[in-house]
Amino acid sequence: MLQTFKDIIDILSVPTISFTFLTVAFPFIFPPSDWFEKVHRKLGIWRLWTKPGFYGGMIAITGFFVIGYFDPNFHITLTKADNFPIVLMVYSMFITIWWSMYQAYENDARLEKGLKPMEYNDPDDKVLVWPDLVYIEFIALILFMVFLIVWSILVAAPLEEPANPASTPNPSKAPWYFLGLQEMLVYFDPWIAGIVFPMFIIIGMMAIPYMDVNKKGDGYYSFKERRIGMFIFMYGWLVLWLFLIVIGTFFRGPNWNFFGPFEFWDPHKVVPLNNVNLSEYVWVKLLGQGMPANILLRESIGFLALVGYMGFLPILLAKTWLKNYFQEIGPVRYTFLMMFGLSMLALPIKMYMRWLFNLKYIIAIPEWFFNI
Amino acid sequence: MEKNKNKKSFLERMGESQVWKSIIRSGVPRSRRQRMQAVLGSVFLHLHPARLPKHAVKVGYTWCMGGLSFFLFVVLTITGILLMFYYRPTVEYAYTDIIDMAEQVPLGIMRELHRWGAHAMVLTVWLHMLRVFMTGSYKPPREFNWGVGVLLMTLTMFLSFTGYLLPWDQLAIWAITVGTNMARAHPFIGHEGPGASLLAIGDINLVHAGSDVRFALLGGRFVGEASLLRFYVLHCIGVPFIVMILMAVHFWRIRKDGGISGPL
Amino acid sequence: MTNEDKKIIPAASVNPEEMDKNGLGRRGFFRWITVGWIAFSAATGGFFTLIIRFLFPNVLFEPPQTFKAGFPNDYASNTVDTRYKKKFNVWMVRDEGSIFALSTVCTHLGCTPNWLGTENKFKCPCHGSGFRMTGINFEGPAPRPLERFKISIATDGKILVDKTKSFKWEKGEWEQSESFLKV
Repeated sequence: MLQTFKDIIDILSVPTISFTFLTVAFPFIFPPSDWFEKVHRKLGIWRLWTKPGFYGGMIAITGFFVIGYFDPNFHITLTKADNFPIVLMVYSMFITIWWSMYQAYENDARLEKGLKPMEYNDPDDKVLVWPDLVYIEFIALILFMVFLIVWSILVAAPLEEPANPASTPNPSKAPWYFLGLQEMLVYFDPWIAGIVFPMFIIIGMMAIPYMDVNKKGDGYYSFKERRIGMFIFMYGWLVLWLFLIVIGTFFRGPNWNFFGPFEFWDPHKVVPLNNVNLSEYVWVKLLGQGMPANILLRESIGFLALVGYMGFLPILLAKTWLKNYFQEIGPVRYTFLMMFGLSMLALPIKMYMRWLFNLKYIIAIPEWFFNI
Repeated sequence: MEKNKNKKSFLERMGESQVWKSIIRSGVPRSRRQRMQAVLGSVFLHLHPARLPKHAVKVGYTWCMGGLSFFLFVVLTITGILLMFYYRPTVEYAYTDIIDMAEQVPLGIMRELHRWGAHAMVLTVWLHMLRVFMTGSYKPPREFNWGVGVLLMTLTMFLSFTGYLLPWDQLAIWAITVGTNMARAHPFIGHEGPGASLLAIGDINLVHAGSDVRFALLGGRFVGEASLLRFYVLHCIGVPFIVMILMAVHFWRIRKDGGISGPL
Repeated sequence: MTNEDKKIIPAASVNPEEMDKNGLGRRGFFRWITVGWIAFSAATGGFFTLIIRFLFPNVLFEPPQTFKAGFPNDYASNTVDTRYKKKFNVWMVRDEGSIFALSTVCTHLGCTPNWLGTENKFKCPCHGSGFRMTGINFEGPAPRPLERFKISIATDGKILVDKTKSFKWEKGEWEQSESFLKV
C-alpha cells in the first residue's frame, strides 16, 4: 500500500508531470481573470486559503517529510545537514503565503462591502515605539536567537572531504539558494542561465514598481485588486524559483539525472539525452540536406524565431489582445514589461521544447560561444 | 511608614544621577513624553519614529522579517569576526582550521551559528521581500527603496556564496567552480562568452583565460590559492562594506518615504 | 524705460567679446568648464582602469602546464587512460590510429566528468553532459566537445603534453598535426 503510494509520488514528481501540473493548476490557485476566479470558486480551491486549507497543507507537507524520513532512500537526502534550510523554506513559504492570502481574502471581502482594509487605523490613534514595538522586536530577537542556537547545537555544519580539484563529487550542487539557476543551466547555455537571466531577474524585480501602474493594494494584504501582477509574480517566485530549488535539492541525483523522492540514487541510471539543435532539425531532418557552411544562414531559422518571439510578438499583442493595456501603460513600460515577461516565459517554453522534441539550442553557434 | 514614602526608589535615583542623564537624557521612560524622547534621543532606536500606526507593530503584518534580517546581519558580523581569529585563508590551513574550530576551540558551535545564520538570513530576506510584495508596499513612493532592497537581497546571496568557498572542502570548491564558470560565459568580458572573440587586435585576443572577468574574481585561471584569498576578502570586508552602505540607505529611505507602508 | 531695462540685464550677457578683455566671458567660461570636465572624467576613468588592472597580477604562481606522459606504447588502443587526470587534468586517449590528450574540464561549467568504461562515455556529474571517447559531446547541456591539448614526442621518446595550447573541434582545430600523435 505504502509502496504503491511512493511509486505514484515518484512518477508524479517527474518534472514533466509535476511542472505541467503546477503550471496548469496555477491560474486556478491564483486566478488572474474572472473566468479563472469562477472555476476557482466552483472547485473550492479558495478553501486552500482558509483555516482548514492551512491544516490540510501542513499535514500534507509534514506527511510527505515523515514518510520520507522513514524511507531508506529519501532519508539520505532529507537528513543531509545542508538540506535542512530547504525543509525550513518549504514550511516558511507555505505558512507565509497562506497567511498573506488568508488576510488578502479577508480584506477583499471587506473592500467589496465598502469597508476599509483591516490594517486601517485612525491616523491619529498611534502607538508608541517604546515600549510597544521595541518589546516585540526584543522578544522576536530572543526567540530567533534561541532557535538559531538550538539549531546550531543539534546540527553540525557540514564539512566534506578536503578540496580535490581532480574529482568532482557526483552529483555536485550549487548552494541551495542558487539551485533554481542550476536547474536553468540544464536548459540554457551558461551565458544565458548564469548571466543574462540573473541580470534580468535582478533588474526585472527592481523594475516591478515602475511597470506595475496599478495604484490599488498599497500597504495592505489584498489579492483581487492586483490579481494579474500577483499571478505573474507568484508564478515566477513559486514555480520558476522555489519549485526549481526543491527539484534541484531533492530530485536531482548522480549525473544530474532526475530521481523521484523515494527512488534509489543509482549512479548508472541511463537516461537518453540525445539533444538536437533547431538548425539540424530544419536542414538535416526536414530538408534532407547538409548543414550550410555559412553560420548565419545555418542558424537563420533560429534568429527568425528569436526575433519573432522577442520582437514581433509584443507588437502583435499590443495591437490585439493587450491593446487596452498597451494604451494604459505606454510604449516604454510596455517594452520593458514584455522584455522581462517574455524572458521569464522563455524558461518554461525551452523546458517543454527540450522535453517534447529533445531540442537543444534554438540558435547554436558554438564557434562564437553564442547558443540560445 | 512616612519615611518610606518619601524615599525614592532605586530606579528613580538612578534616573536622576548624572551618569544616567548624560547617557539617556530623558530619564527613566515612564511618561508618554519621556518614552518618545527615549526613542528620539537614541541613535539606535531612532531608526524608528517615536510613534507608529497600530497595524505597523503587528507581527501578522510585518512578520518581523526585515528586523530579523538586520539582526542576523549583526549576529553574522560578530560570529564572523570571532571566526577570523582562528581561520587562515590558505589552501594549506583552511580545511584544518575549520576542523580545529569545531574540535579545539571552546564553544565549538561558532561556525554552526555563522553558517546556519547565513542560511537563515537568506530565508528571512526572501520572506521579507515576499511580505513587501504581498502588501504591495513597493508601490510609489517606495519604488526606490524596493530597488535597494532587491540589491540587498542579491548581495545577501553573494555574501553567502563567497563564504561557501572558505572551508575548502569538496562542497566548497565545486560550488565555486560551477558558479564562477558562469562568469567565464559573460558576454564580451568572459573569455567563453559571446562577443569575446570580437575584442581582438589582429590575432591577439584581448579577452582570454588570463584577462577576463572570471580571472578578476578568482585571481587565477582556476580555483586555487588566490581565489581563496579573494573570496575571503570579499566575504569579510568587500561585500559587507557595500551591504552596510545600502542598509543605511534602505533604513533611511523607509523613514523618508513616509514610514512603514499601510492603507491610507 | 530703455535705460532701466539695460540696467537689469546681467553684465556678462551684454557683450562676451568685451568681457574677455577684463576676465572670463561666457564663451570662455564654457570652454574652460568643458576642458575641466573632460580632464576630470579622464582622470577618474584612468584611475578606475588602474583599479581594474590591479586585479590582474603580472606573475601567476600556478603549477607547470607541460608534463611527460610515458611512452606511446603504454596505451592500448581504444582505451581511456585516467592516470594523469588527478595531477594534470588530462585524459590520455588512444583510438584506432592516434593518441590525444583530452582536457578533463567539462565545456559546460568546468566540472570534471567521469569516464564510465562500461557505457563508453564521459559523464559530467554537475549537469549531466555526456561525451564520447573522442571528446565529442552528445548529451546534456555541454555546448561543444572537450578540448584537446598540444601533444608531441620529446627527445627521450616520451609523450610531451603542453596544456598552454588547446585545440577546439568546432573551430576545426583537431585536424592540426599538433593536436594528436599518429601511432
